[in-house]
Amino acid sequence: MESTSRPGQRFLPTRWTVILAAGRQSSAQAQEALSILCRTYWQPIYAYVRHKGHSPPDAEDLTQEFFSRLLQKHYLAGLQREGGRFRSFLLAAVNGFLANEWDKARAQKRGGGQKMLSIDRDTAESRYHLEPAHELTPERIYERQWAQALLDQVLKRLGEEYRQAGKTALFEKLSASLSQPRGAVPYAQIAREMDSTEAAIKMAVQRLRARYRELLRAEIAETVASPAEVEDEIRFLFSTFLP
Amino acid sequence: MNEIHKCPQCGNELPANTPSSACPRCLLQVGLGSQPDAGGGTAPMAPKHQAPDLEEVRKLFPQLEILELLGQGGMGVVYKARQPNLDRLVALKLLPADSARDAAFAERFAREARALARLNHPNVVAVHDFGQIQGLCYLLMEYVDGANLRQVELQGRLTAKEALRIVPDICEALQYAHDQGIVHRDIKPENILLDKGGRVKIADFGLAKLLGKGDRDRTLTAERQVMGTPHYMAPEQVERPLEVDHRADIYSLGVVFYEMLTGELPLGKFAPPSQKVQVDVRLDEVVLRALVKEPERRYQHASEVKSDVETIATTPGTAPPAAEVLQAQAWEAARRQVRPAGTGLLVTGILNWALIVVYSLIGAYVFANLKPGQGMTSFVLAMLVAVVSSSLMILGGIRMRSLESYRLAVAGAVLSLVISPGNLVGLPIGIWALAVLSRPQVRQVFKQAPPSAAARLSLANAALAAPVPGASARGWFFGVAAVVVGGLACWSFSRSLRSLSA
Repeated sequence: MESTSRPGQRFLPTRWTVILAAGRQSSAQAQEALSILCRTYWQPIYAYVRHKGHSPPDAEDLTQEFFSRLLQKHYLAGLQREGGRFRSFLLAAVNGFLANEWDKARAQKRGGGQKMLSIDRDTAESRYHLEPAHELTPERIYERQWAQALLDQVLKRLGEEYRQAGKTALFEKLSASLSQPRGAVPYAQIAREMDSTEAAIKMAVQRLRARYRELLRAEIAETVASPAEVEDEIRFLFSTFLP
Repeated sequence: MNEIHKCPQCGNELPANTPSSACPRCLLQVGLGSQPDAGGGTAPMAPKHQAPDLEEVRKLFPQLEILELLGQGGMGVVYKARQPNLDRLVALKLLPADSARDAAFAERFAREARALARLNHPNVVAVHDFGQIQGLCYLLMEYVDGANLRQVELQGRLTAKEALRIVPDICEALQYAHDQGIVHRDIKPENILLDKGGRVKIADFGLAKLLGKGDRDRTLTAERQVMGTPHYMAPEQVERPLEVDHRADIYSLGVVFYEMLTGELPLGKFAPPSQKVQVDVRLDEVVLRALVKEPERRYQHASEVKSDVETIATTPGTAPPAAEVLQAQAWEAARRQVRPAGTGLLVTGILNWALIVVYSLIGAYVFANLKPGQGMTSFVLAMLVAVVSSSLMILGGIRMRSLESYRLAVAGAVLSLVISPGNLVGLPIGIWALAVLSRPQVRQVFKQAPPSAAARLSLANAALAAPVPGASARGWFFGVAAVVVGGLACWSFSRSLRSLSA
């Protein structure tokens, strides 16, 4: 009776598993999945390229060129089936691109290729400078920016859900509490401001937090090959911020 | 460049313009679940991608006898259960736990479920009850003993006849729900159930909307799509999810229908079903009209699809088979190409005739008054040849226009190259006609019989001629002959003129 019944399959296909599964065949679905992932995670690539010493206009061109090449069919064909994470794949791909393709790309007329991203240079630059510690390696910058892009995406979705439910004000009041330890959240103060009770705010914070964690896990799941890796990926990204 | 301050919680360095709530390290830490009091409170269990244990479900629903797990997917988990007091089998659907957490969802869920429970139709899976238990949304539904359309398709048990029986039932269910203002949004073979008696039952009405599979914001939609069933979605569901209405279901129905008939999805530039498999060609139009990209050009009501399919299923296939229609189309296309050139030949021939009359009058005057007897024979001969060839040109033009005789058409064209009013009109027209006649699709059509009566009905043409085998070879023969005759005519004509002037 059930519709999408697939007993035995515990982990629903995610973007990255769709891409991996497509392998050499490079299906339209895989292409679509890849392009969605690329739109979410172009900023880390930009930051990485910038930190490799390219000027803002060069970094922008390189990022565009890199993604447009990545989305060409043959690129996916080289993918190996045995897994890995999308984050590592993208970094390896951009390294390969910078090493081999950059000269060729430069020889071509600049900007002649199709632009798949709308890079707003000011935004890209300001986001790049979000990273204060410039003594970090480009790889570390990339990883931190990756975490940032991931969190942005999760918060955007979370905010969108609240907006759709008509609770934008609540979200704005509560979102600061997401990163606070429980004792630090000024429940009473928020309750006064929202004209609500402390218990209700406590409950709302709890829900927000629970939903945030789910969305975070779901978003990470899109980029890894198996559910077991989700926790590990959070741990890894967290560790990139440790001194 | 940027001022740096520290996150008050973890001491992580942050640029000045970043609020501490955006500290990525803290946010990730929350995600890690390393804080013992984070989350959890409202979630008795977290099935996520995993079905809850049977025992757990039994504890949650003591009033039901939970029998077995039927399946799980993006829309939740379904158990087969029995209601002992009513002694009936039911299907218990638990929605994904991650959607149940916020109050807004609970509210929407209650609203949607009430609307679904009001759907009372033999082709719609009935919703008996719904609710929330420990933060978990559930639906208690009619149990359908059978298989879904996907399973039936995979077993290869589906014939075109069977498809024609199933589609009207789907249409009826859709029309009924659309009349109640409910759009399914996720019509696909997995949601179309067939019970043991072969009755069609559509499941999961409106759940796509509830779970954000159909609309909601783009990112969420996109994510679910990749995981789910983008191939069955109407283009506007992907492009303008907020504008989706019941016509999206009609598109999805078109995809399901196409797949039932051909076993393939209508991807890219796809062929109509009758070109892939042997089905009534009239179904092409139905399927294609359901699959039109623009909702306003699509079928506007499921009931229209139903009546069209039923008409086709109950009336004998009077429409000509596809091949014949294609042939008729090719015939018509060739005729359109050939017509102007044929008319050109015709006009040239008539012009020649008119000139022959003028020449003959002049010749008669010259021979009667100025040079009686001298060179008259060759002049008359030339005129006769011109008369014959002009007549041939006219005839060739007529037969060319109706695609009847390749030989005469070629002969007429060649003659017009050679003999025509000073060759000024005839030369370009002759070349044009020959160029048109040498096109392979035109030559091909000359060999065919004109379309059959049935095919002609739609094309409104009644030309009748037997097929002309080897038309092109003979056409060349006639062409060469015409050149010889034409050359002869020219020669005699110039001789007679010379004799006149002498």
